Amino acid sequence: MKKKFSPPRFSRRSFLKTAGMASVAAGGAGLGIWGYKDGKAPESYSGWESFQGATQYFNRKSFAVDTPTYRKVGESSRVDARSEVIFYRFSELNRQWRDETGVQGLASPWQEYYLQHPAELELDLQLKKEIFPKYRQDEQKYGSRFLLATAWAQAMGAVSPRPIDRPPEESDFPRGEEYGEPKTPLPMKDRKKTSLLIKQVAYQLGATLVGIAPLNPDWVYLYPMKNRGFDPASPINVPKHWQNAIVVGTPMSWDPFFANPNYGASDDAYSRSRIVAFRLAAFIRALGYAARPHTPGTAYDLMVPPILVDAGLGEQGRHSVVITPELGSNFRPAIITTNLPLFSDKPIDFGVQDFCKTCKICAKQCPSGAITMEEPSAIRGYLRYQLNISKCHNFWYSKLGNIGCRICVTVCPYSRKANWIHKTALQVISRDPTHLSKQVLTQLQEIFYPGPAPQDYYMPSLGGKNASYREAPWWLRSEDFISW
Amino acid sequence: MDILHSGFIWFGEGILLVLALTGIKTWCEDRGVRLRFWSWIPIVLWLFLFGFTCTFIGTSLGEGESVAAVKGGIILGLITLISAAGIWRFLLQLRPSAPDPNKIKEAMENETETK
Repeated sequence: MKKKFSPPRFSRRSFLKTAGMASVAAGGAGLGIWGYKDGKAPESYSGWESFQGATQYFNRKSFAVDTPTYRKVGESSRVDARSEVIFYRFSELNRQWRDETGVQGLASPWQEYYLQHPAELELDLQLKKEIFPKYRQDEQKYGSRFLLATAWAQAMGAVSPRPIDRPPEESDFPRGEEYGEPKTPLPMKDRKKTSLLIKQVAYQLGATLVGIAPLNPDWVYLYPMKNRGFDPASPINVPKHWQNAIVVGTPMSWDPFFANPNYGASDDAYSRSRIVAFRLAAFIRALGYAARPHTPGTAYDLMVPPILVDAGLGEQGRHSVVITPELGSNFRPAIITTNLPLFSDKPIDFGVQDFCKTCKICAKQCPSGAITMEEPSAIRGYLRYQLNISKCHNFWYSKLGNIGCRICVTVCPYSRKANWIHKTALQVISRDPTHLSKQVLTQLQEIFYPGPAPQDYYMPSLGGKNASYREAPWWLRSEDFISW
Repeated sequence: MDILHSGFIWFGEGILLVLALTGIKTWCEDRGVRLRFWSWIPIVLWLFLFGFTCTFIGTSLGEGESVAAVKGGIILGLITLISAAGIWRFLLQLRPSAPDPNKIKEAMENETETK
């Protein structure tokens, strides 16, 4: 005879216990899945998700300070762009150098500079004579791997306003009613309101970060860059209408950035920042005020990092790049100098100076050794970390992919996406007066987010392995799309 | 609608949390552990740690940091397991201690003698 089915006896208490255990498991699984989605979410790609200003989400008020976090320690001097900006100096060396005449064959001021800085001469010649030929050779052999990344960079750089090449007196001021730019400035009601307006417009134009500061003349180049409308042989007289500096910043695309070097150059952020700056300058001129964009790569008349610090966007780190709370160092800025009356932002101190003292991850990971492990030293009258720009520049051509390098920016613990882990860590280290969390989180950064050995980033002919920090995003893996 | 990006996920997590706490209470009672108000503190902290571990692993995988997921999973997972064992042992200490059998025997003998 068939046995009658009887359901197992399951008491109320047993049910509660089983449901409790199952709930713990299901709750954990739910949180894990939520975390996975949060890690992948487009919202964590700060600066690529919104044009509404929500991108500058860190509340700076409690970190505002009266004086910037760099320190003046002596008489200041301005930068001679001809010899101190590597692109200018190296292009002149490359053009003028003859082995037969050596340094003596160089024109002024490069001859004087190299005589005073023989180590820089050696490094710059090393690039010209040793590294370039090897780069060309390796590029032929292994370069196809980076084809899509190069195409992406070219695409981003393809749309670009023509750089300003006329002197400020000609280029900065409104052209007249016929161009929609009144010659007489419109009377603005209130500086504070005007600043809010400018920021909102900048966000709407695509800026992720916006800050305003009075322009410190110390940051204006003593001698100008090429093709900026100045007489290259005469010092720049800081124009009177360069009263305020508006800083705008946009991030480099996150996935290619994390796959450095070098899946995508900085052209994406360069291009976006340039476009925002030119549009914002046009907006200001339409109000009847003077405005001059200073934009990447080389169309500047001034030093950018200290202006970012003045405008309260961040602090300058050990790697010399400004670290912001929202994007870390993963961004590229542009500046608009103007006489529009504006209310300035205050500089901020959210603990970067202390953090950089002990962290040193960028210095350890930099293959070229350009970033110092030492304490800050006086440079042109200001205390800051020394960066050997010639070593840095040489490495740009010592690995394949796009020209440039962003390893220090990538490995910086502040350059993380905006998910709950990194947002929480940022809040903790910014507010911890004991500095204990800074040390713990730096250790955790090294344990949890390791990178390749610095030597592995080099191209094969220089003893490297063409390593990248992380795997390239799927859409930049040339081998998956192109057959050779 | 993406449930994981809506408030519904937290509604669900809230229900699961209530069920989990009820289950833990029943489990403890069946083992003779009477939970006082302060003994809920380590339990809630443990649940937070467990949730943190799961979320950390998920988020690290989501942002493509598999090394962080594995290392974080091992370190946090071990801490979660060890702390669970520690909390359970601590809760067992809270059980009312059973009377000493020798004393019971002695009392019974005294009672017989009195009779």
